[in-house]
Order: sequence, then C-alpha cells, then structure tokens
Amino acid sequence: MTGRNAGGRAWRGWALAAVPLAFLLAFLLLPLLRVLALGGARLGILGEGYFQARLAWTFWQATLTALLALALGGPLAYLLARYHLPGKAALLRLLLLPFVTPTLVAALGLLSLFGPRGLTGLDLSETPALILLGNLFFNLPLMVRLGYAGFLRVPPNLNAAARTLGAGGVRAALQVSLPLAWPGLAAGAVLVFLYSALSFGLPLLLGGERYATLEVEIYTLTAYELRLPEASALILVQLAVTLLATLLYLRLGRAAGGGVPVARDLPRPTGWAALATYGLTVTVLLLCFAPLVAVAVRSVTGRAGWTTAFWTGLLQASDPGVGLLLGNTLRFAGLTLAASVLLGLLHAVATYVTRSRLLDVLSLLPLMVSPVSLAVGYLILYPSLRAQLPLLIAAYSLLATPLVVRSVLPALRAVPPHVPEAARTLGAARAGVWRSVLLPLTLPALRGGAALSLATVLGEFAATLVLTRPEWATLSTGMYERLGRPGEQNLGEACALATLLMLLALTVFSVLDGGKGEVT
Amino acid sequence: MKKILSITLTLAATLSGTSTAQSAGTLTVITHDSFDVDRKLVTAFETANHVKVRFIKGGDAGEMLNKLILTKAAPLADAVYGLDNTLLPRAQAAGILAPYTSPAIAGVPAAYRQGPLLNTVDVGYVALNYDRAAFQKTGLKLPATLRELSEPQYARLTVVESPATSSTGAAFYLATVQELGQDGAVAWWRTARANGMKVTRGWSQAYNEDFSLYGGRYPIVLSYASSPAAEVAYSKEKLTASPTANLFLPGSTFVQLEGAAVLKGSRQPVLARKFVDFMLSGAVQADFPTRMWVYPAVGGVKLDPVWKFSQKPDVKLAPTSLLTRSQALTDLWVTQVLRK
Repeated sequence: MTGRNAGGRAWRGWALAAVPLAFLLAFLLLPLLRVLALGGARLGILGEGYFQARLAWTFWQATLTALLALALGGPLAYLLARYHLPGKAALLRLLLLPFVTPTLVAALGLLSLFGPRGLTGLDLSETPALILLGNLFFNLPLMVRLGYAGFLRVPPNLNAAARTLGAGGVRAALQVSLPLAWPGLAAGAVLVFLYSALSFGLPLLLGGERYATLEVEIYTLTAYELRLPEASALILVQLAVTLLATLLYLRLGRAAGGGVPVARDLPRPTGWAALATYGLTVTVLLLCFAPLVAVAVRSVTGRAGWTTAFWTGLLQASDPGVGLLLGNTLRFAGLTLAASVLLGLLHAVATYVTRSRLLDVLSLLPLMVSPVSLAVGYLILYPSLRAQLPLLIAAYSLLATPLVVRSVLPALRAVPPHVPEAARTLGAARAGVWRSVLLPLTLPALRGGAALSLATVLGEFAATLVLTRPEWATLSTGMYERLGRPGEQNLGEACALATLLMLLALTVFSVLDGGKGEVT
Repeated sequence: MKKILSITLTLAATLSGTSTAQSAGTLTVITHDSFDVDRKLVTAFETANHVKVRFIKGGDAGEMLNKLILTKAAPLADAVYGLDNTLLPRAQAAGILAPYTSPAIAGVPAAYRQGPLLNTVDVGYVALNYDRAAFQKTGLKLPATLRELSEPQYARLTVVESPATSSTGAAFYLATVQELGQDGAVAWWRTARANGMKVTRGWSQAYNEDFSLYGGRYPIVLSYASSPAAEVAYSKEKLTASPTANLFLPGSTFVQLEGAAVLKGSRQPVLARKFVDFMLSGAVQADFPTRMWVYPAVGGVKLDPVWKFSQKPDVKLAPTSLLTRSQALTDLWVTQVLRK
C-alpha cells in the first residue's frame, strides 16, 4: 500500500469516527469533567483504612470473578466449539438471559436459593460467596460466548494436523487452539473484570456495608451524602485501574492473530471430552439459570402454595397497565439498539480503517467510567435535557455501544486482507467492497453484538442514571415499584414481571439471531 | 447502507419529537419514587387549569433533595412533593424552596404544620414491625425497650435500614437520639450491631429480602406503622388478621411529615401553588392513603376500612432542635458506627 493511499484511508477513518467521538465527548467526557471540577478530588480519603478496604475488596472480587469465569467458561467455550451438542444454539441463546436479568431479580433469585430459607438449604447470605455467585451469574455467559467466538475462528485443520502429528486432545487444545483463541478469551476475562470492578447493583443489594464496592461508595457519597470531592477521589482511582486493565487487554488482543469463524461438521464428544462437556454445561446451567427458575417459581407460589393470583393481579393492573410497560420496554430498547448499533459500527469501522490504538481504547471508555458520576454530570450539564427521553436513551446507548464494537472489530480484523483486495482488483468500487464483502462477513458478529448490547439494557431501565417519569414505566420500573411496597401480592407480581421480561428477552434474541444460532 | 440511514432518520425524528414536548403549558413536579396518586384526579387538575402535569421521579426522598440542591441554578421542576420534616432544615439552608402557605393548610392540625416552606400533605409513622408467627417460634417475650432489643437474648432478630442511605433509617436513628441522647444513641447502635442487628441500605431490601415473612432470617423489621394494614390489603386471600404487627418500643417510632412545596426559580409559580393546594384537596387526601400507605394530613378524611389493621403510635413530633442537627448526626453515625 502506498503512503498516499494510507493517508487517505486514515482521513476517511477519522471522518467516520467523528460521530461516535462527538457522542463520547458529550455524554461521557464533559459530564465526567464537570463532576470532577465541581469539588475537586479530596485524595486524602484514600489514606483512610475504611476506603482502602473498599478498594481492596472491589478489585479482589473482580479479579477472582474473572479467573473463575475463565476457568469455567474457557474450557466450556472450547468444547462447544469443538464438538456437536444437541441444542447448542439454544444453549448459547439462553445464555443471554442472565445478562438481561435486572439486578434486583438476580438478587431475589440468589436469595431464594442461598438465603436463610433457601431451596438449597445452604445459607450464603452476608458472605462474599453470594456476591461471587452473583458476579458469575451475570458474567459467565459473556465469557462463554466470547470464548466460543474466539475458538470458532481457530481453523479446524490446524487442530487436526496437531492430532495427526501425535498430540493428545488436551495438548492440541493448549498448544494450538488456546494461543489462537486467546483474543476471545482475553476479551472475555477483561470484560468480566471491568464489569465486576464497576459492579454496582449486586453489592448494593446483597453486599451490605461489608461488601460494598467502590461504585457503591461513589453512589452513597454522591447521592446521599453530597460529598463530591470524596466521591471524585474514588472515581479517579477506579478510572485509573480500569484504564490499566483495558490497556493490558488491548495489548493481549493484538499479540495474537485471528481467523474467520468456520462452519463445520463437528463430532459428538466421547469419553473424557463428553464428561467434561456435559459436566461443565450442567455447572454453567445451574449457576446461570437456577436463580432465574427460582424467580419464575416464586411467581406462581405464595405462602399458601401454588397460585395464579400474582399473574392475574399483574394482568388486571390498570395504572400503569402491563401493555404500557411492555410497549415502553420495547420502544426504549429499540431506540437504544438503533443508536448503539449505529455508533458501534461507525466506531469499529473507523478503528479498523485507521488502525488507531487511541480509537480502540476510547471504544472501551464507557466500561471504565462510573455511571453514577456521569448521572450527576448530566444533571448539571444539560438542564434542558434532564427529564427528556433522549438523555435516557443516550445514557443507555453509551453502556451498550462497547459490546457492538467488541463484536464487530475482531470480525473485521479477521477478514483475510486478500479478500477485499481481490474485490478491488476485480473492479469493485470502495463502497462496493464494503457492501458486498466486508459487511456480509461481519454481519453475524454485528447481530451477536447487537443481541448482547440489547441484553445489557433491556432489563435496566430502572435508571438511577437519569430522572425518570411515570409515563416511562417499563417492566423493570414496574418491578421496582412493586418491591417498594409491602405485601405478598406485590412481591409475587414483581416475580411475575421478571418472568415476563425473561420471556420477552428470549423472543427478541431469537429474532436477532435469525434463528440460526449464529451467535458469538 | 440505506437501512442504516433510515434508522438514523427515524431516531432523529423520535428524538426531536420528544424534546419539543415541554411546551409553555407544562407544570413539572418532582416526587420521590413512592409517589402515587389516581391518574383521574391528575387529569381533572390538568383540565381545570389548562395545563399538562409532568411528573419526574427523583429517587428516595434524600436523594431527591440532593438532586435539587445540585441543580439549584436551573431548577429541575416547579413543585416538589415528598420532602419531610427530617429534610426540611437542609432544604431551607440550601435555599431551594419558595415560601407558600396553602389556604388548605387550615384543615391540617396546627401541630403538623411546618411553616411557609413546606405544606404538610401526609403523616407517616416509621415503626418496628414483627412477623407474628416467626417471632412466636423464638419462644421469647416481645422486648419492651430499645435496650432490651440490643441484649444478647434478642441477638440477630432485627433488620433496620441505614440512616445514611434510607429515610426510614434516618427517622429511626433520630428517634433513638431523642430517646437516648447523642452519645447514648451511638453506643446503642454499636451494641445492637455487635449483637447482630442487620443494617441494610434501603427499605425494600430489609423488607423483601431480610424480613422473615419473605424468606429472610429476621423477624423484626424497621418499616411503617401502616405496614400491617398493607399486608392485609395486598394479601391474595381474605385475611382477618395481619401476619405482622407493630412493635412500638419507646424511642423507636418517628413521626414523618411529608409535604409539598414550590421550588425557587419555578417558571410556573402560580400553577405550582395550585398543585400544592391540589395535594391538600379532599379527593386527593382520600385517594393516596391506600396507595402510599400514609395518613392524610387534613383532618376528617374517611379512611378505607383496611386501615383498622394499622395503629397510630402515641409519639410526639421531633423538636426542631433535633431536626436541624440531622445532617451532622448522620455524619456522626457514618464515622462512629458504620466505619468503626
């Protein structure tokens, strides 16, 4: 490629990046700076034992979650990519469900299983184990799906060659597949670390004051105590650590190459492989679905046994009716999806075209920054937008976009360079190459990313983020509202709403996947 | 690319559509998350005053107050509902409220009025509740004092909300300060916590997760004196008695006076005042008790029969001298109880 060509490429790439960058500037950078400028950062509190303990716990639990997810999800992802399993597509699709689960539902589900009167008989409440289980519940699916995508790109003939040359299954996996699939696995582990390091809902609901994370402390200092200088000090520390993790991840990702995901006929697992595959599948299923099943069961069982009262109560509710809740949920999720797919696609293509490391890092910025502090920035910065829908949609798109970028970018990079070049040689115009070669090749990844990003926001419209309005009631705000009132009927209806949300999520993902299970 | 373009256009159209919704005839009212009034009554208010009312929810009452203080320069709303007597001193110090005394306040008993900044709309009693069946299983007599509650025989039976993150918790803490004095209260909280009293961040965790009635391990919970009545109202079968009851220990109960006010800098001050009047009107006063589970402030309003399952505790209002110290007292609790 000539220098002039490269220069033109970069110029066009940065032009594409303008939109997502402007978005990041307006809804991430400026609000954050506004909050930090409001009171300065009182770094002195980092010397206090209490906050040091919070800091240590936050990163310890995130690291441990990432390692556990890697240890459980990595091998399963490998086995799923290697072997044929009946219902594999359905399993991968189901694995999006924990993602969509509002934190409150997850907490209820976990307590139904591991609470003082839990179904398992094991009381883990008020222990760190419950938080870790909760973290795994939310993050293991991400690990499995990203790892699976990574292993799928390993050319099968490489593995077969290694086997032919006498390597055992495990050795082939470790020496051939693992190095090649490392970007996917590293992506998974670092995303799990980032999500857990910034985790807010679960420690807020299950952690009490002993297992509060930095984000919970930032929330308390900001929303309840109005001590912004102290909160800012914690925001800076959190940002520094997550930034380091992100840089490490991008380095790891670059260290290894990729390939195109290959469809192939897979053998059924036998012997040890079968044992490992089915064992891990059952473990992951239990971790990720038992809490959800527990919630669904609670929606049809009351103190006096089996009942339909909660569902009939829910369907008869008129103010606001279930139809409104459902409609709003779909409307907001649709808008967020449209915005995040557009922004994510632009950002991914721009990063691919310019090969800019800076753009790469910036695409992950929303995962590094405290949403609580952004919310305060929005309040002060955008007086006219404060109680407007665009702000709500922007806030959620900000959270969802990185997942689109993370799905599309590896797929673009995995396209062998000779493919678009051949198309150009054969006379295709630049836009034509994109339309007929690059986009079709990345479409499955885009759909997968869209499904993931939709999953992150579908259940989370309860928004401590920005101001909400009653006419914006969604399935999850309906749930929070019921949980805010005493009485068995309210709790039961909340569980019924949660079940409804899960069914809705499952339907939406099936549509996005095109029913082929081509999910990454 | 055509598809993406059309998505962008649709998006832009939707966004611009919603941002023009704020016309001149809109009254914005900010409330805490528990606010709930019959939509029909609101529609009647809108029709009578040729205005569209837009409600926004600002979080828990304490959170809402902080949002109002942060955005003082460009007020979030015209009127506010849900600030209470514990938060009024801070609202006053921050200068976020405009004085207005509704004529309808004449119907509120003099003891419940709070001056020109906040018009008392309703009265609630923060109180300990207990799960009758679960408590019976302990074989213990009900405790009679706060001190008894913190003694080893009652270890690990109680869950309360944090004074730092919950208005219910803050009210309970102020009640303990009033009963035991500042040092005595701090000492009590430390003893009680060492004795296994659980402190949660908010009401719904304490009630829905930790209270034994819903699968938790604690048969005593900090809630409201009205909760036993709500338990009956929201029960799926017809109950003749509530599964829970109030535990009115001296120094554990607190009278919360919630009110409505006009925000300083309101663009619709006249309508904002009318909204305050509306909250004190007979129809609204009769409507919200079975929605928000608080007593109407105006005297002589007929209550739903289910309210017979609730009892009003015999407790005096907290003096202003205590309320003005509430922020300092919370800071004290955070440093001396929570972070110790």
